[in-house]
Amino acid sequence: MSLETRNPVGSAKRVGAVAAPASAPGWYQRRRTREAMLIACFLLPSLAIFLLYRILPLAWNAVLSFEFWSPLKAARFAGLDNYAEMFFEDDVFWQALTNTLIFIMASPVAILLALAVALAVNSDLKGAAIYRTIIFLSYPLMSVAVGIVWRWLYDERGGFINFVLRGTGLITDPIPFLQSFGWALPSVILADIWQVIGFYMIILLTGLQSIPQHLYEAARIDGAPASARFLRITLPMLRPSLFLCAVIGILNSFTAFDLVYVMTGGGPAHATELLVTHIYNMGFGETRFDYAAALTVVQFALLVILTFLANRAVGGNAGSVESA
Amino acid sequence: MQRRRDLLKIAAGVAATSFLPKTIYAQTGTKKLSLLTWNIIDMEPLFKQWFATFQAQNPGVEIEWLDKKGPELPAFYQTQLAAGTPPDIVDIQGGLGLEWGGQGALLDLTPMLEKEPEVRARFNPEYLANWVFEGKNYLIPFYVSKSLLFYNKPMFKAAGIEYAPKSLDDILSYAKAVSGADRTGFLTLNFDWLYWPLFRMQGVDLLTADLKKPTFNTQAGIETADKLAKATGDGSINKISWTGRWVEPNGAFAAGNVGMMHAHSSAYFFVKTQGSWITPETIGIAEVPGFWSTPNSHGWAISKGAKNPELAWAFLKFVTEKTQAMQFARGRTLTTANGEVDKEFLAELDKNDPTAAAVLRTQIEHTDKLTGNWRLSDDSSVKNIVWAEMQNIFLGRRDAKTALAEAEKKVERELRRA
Repeated sequence: MSLETRNPVGSAKRVGAVAAPASAPGWYQRRRTREAMLIACFLLPSLAIFLLYRILPLAWNAVLSFEFWSPLKAARFAGLDNYAEMFFEDDVFWQALTNTLIFIMASPVAILLALAVALAVNSDLKGAAIYRTIIFLSYPLMSVAVGIVWRWLYDERGGFINFVLRGTGLITDPIPFLQSFGWALPSVILADIWQVIGFYMIILLTGLQSIPQHLYEAARIDGAPASARFLRITLPMLRPSLFLCAVIGILNSFTAFDLVYVMTGGGPAHATELLVTHIYNMGFGETRFDYAAALTVVQFALLVILTFLANRAVGGNAGSVESA
Repeated sequence: MQRRRDLLKIAAGVAATSFLPKTIYAQTGTKKLSLLTWNIIDMEPLFKQWFATFQAQNPGVEIEWLDKKGPELPAFYQTQLAAGTPPDIVDIQGGLGLEWGGQGALLDLTPMLEKEPEVRARFNPEYLANWVFEGKNYLIPFYVSKSLLFYNKPMFKAAGIEYAPKSLDDILSYAKAVSGADRTGFLTLNFDWLYWPLFRMQGVDLLTADLKKPTFNTQAGIETADKLAKATGDGSINKISWTGRWVEPNGAFAAGNVGMMHAHSSAYFFVKTQGSWITPETIGIAEVPGFWSTPNSHGWAISKGAKNPELAWAFLKFVTEKTQAMQFARGRTLTTANGEVDKEFLAELDKNDPTAAAVLRTQIEHTDKLTGNWRLSDDSSVKNIVWAEMQNIFLGRRDAKTALAEAEKKVERELRRA
């Protein structure tokens, strides 16, 4: 009988197999080389694509952020000028950064709502499968379509939300949701939560269903109340799923371009401007690709920091594979 | 070993084949002309017909046509510029032509226009001059439009108003008179600086004639902004004026509960299809007080990086000729800035659709009072700065004095940076 172990790159070797003959090192070495080459051949296409479409643009973007460049002019070294402008002169950058952080902070609300929904549809609720489908339905919709629908829902004069609020006597004057500086961002965030909640729910539901039932049975036998079972079993066991939702939430906040673009265009007066829409406006609206590159570097750094913090918040080992 | 050789042979064959098309073109003398247009795919049959005629006149020319929707074209074109493969010909809307021309993306058409004065003579000189940056003409008109005032006659009648407004104060008092409950008095489109005639009619301009300093932060500028903000606050002006783009403001006017709408001619054809109340008897058409208007025209340009600039110029001459321009005017019901074509087409339209003719007639009148485009290579940056502060004023976040002072400071900084 032989045991099989796996080295980090996944190639297998047998332990306890018959010892190799004296000439074996040469043969073994050749085999190892051939295996390595084969692995490299398999990896090469994806690595090449990754390098070409991810690493190179990222590196070029970083270089561009230290230059004055447009598609029509030769590049000149700019030093930290673009960054200085961003931090000390560009009010819109600070507004966009604040809005992006607010957007991110709304993710936990969405995750909590999704968790509540996931717990509900994971229970013995009658018609749970139907509710699950209905809630998930919002996710595959195109963000542009979601934006248009919500824009009409929020309309000050003919919008359904104002119609209901006025009809029920909750308000007398209609609320200009997307025209108001105070309401615009929360309104966009609400539309975003509505769209993404179904996706979070599915992730959390999968997490809930993978929790071994015997843990709950044991807790029940020990007399643990429902709240203790939730806090001591469900939540810890859901940690990887919650981490995934948090990361998706962060990414979603950084890339909620289409929804903002369709609903408000970043307005009024940058009240709903996110870093991503600011980058787009600078690059394609004002043909300032160099400055847009500097903004992108800051956004990227922020994304890495937040993902790192999210990872730390769930114990620092999210995404790792448990070995048997 | 044999297998490896076979593989090498195949690879060499594939590599060699990839060079073939160039050789074929070189041998046959085929020239390729690439054309990028802006949201005009509905005219495909006409374009195909034009291509066939042009190809018959210029044997061996291959035309590659790409049409992009509204927000997609600028980003697409700039990507092509960055890649060094811009289309030979591009259709550009609004002030972007000046900006891209100023940044060096477009070919100066002045020498061609000077060499062929009969081509220059086709066009309304003011529309043509609207695309001049530092003495260089970068575009020629394809189809043109500028802002005007539409009003709801029944709403005016109910409020006892008999005439179109003659001043900004008229606009605002009429707006107040017709508004109430779910009705608002006035709406303006704001994109591409279409709201600017409201300031220009009050004698407010954005920059000095030499484009070096801002000039909007004056008493008149503050008063105008204040008036518009107050009217927005009391519901006389619909807030969508300052936040909507195309569908919402036009949809609101088409719904029949907005007294006036300041928009360009294309808006008429949009609202007509949506508003059942719109008939020749119910819709009023007028110039805004002072006859100021913001153009939102489409022009043809040739990219500086065009591979066949002469051929591109030949194509532009061809599509702006009377026959083609007339076909296009009829197909799309618009004005082309080709003087002869517009005159004949409007005479034709007077018989078939007098209201449309009245709308389009405003597009070729008072063209000496076009405003809203400045000959700046950073036009968008300046406009974005001012627009953000204008929104702050109109929607009640800041008072006009503070906001315009802030905008002035930022515009000065931007002009220095550029």
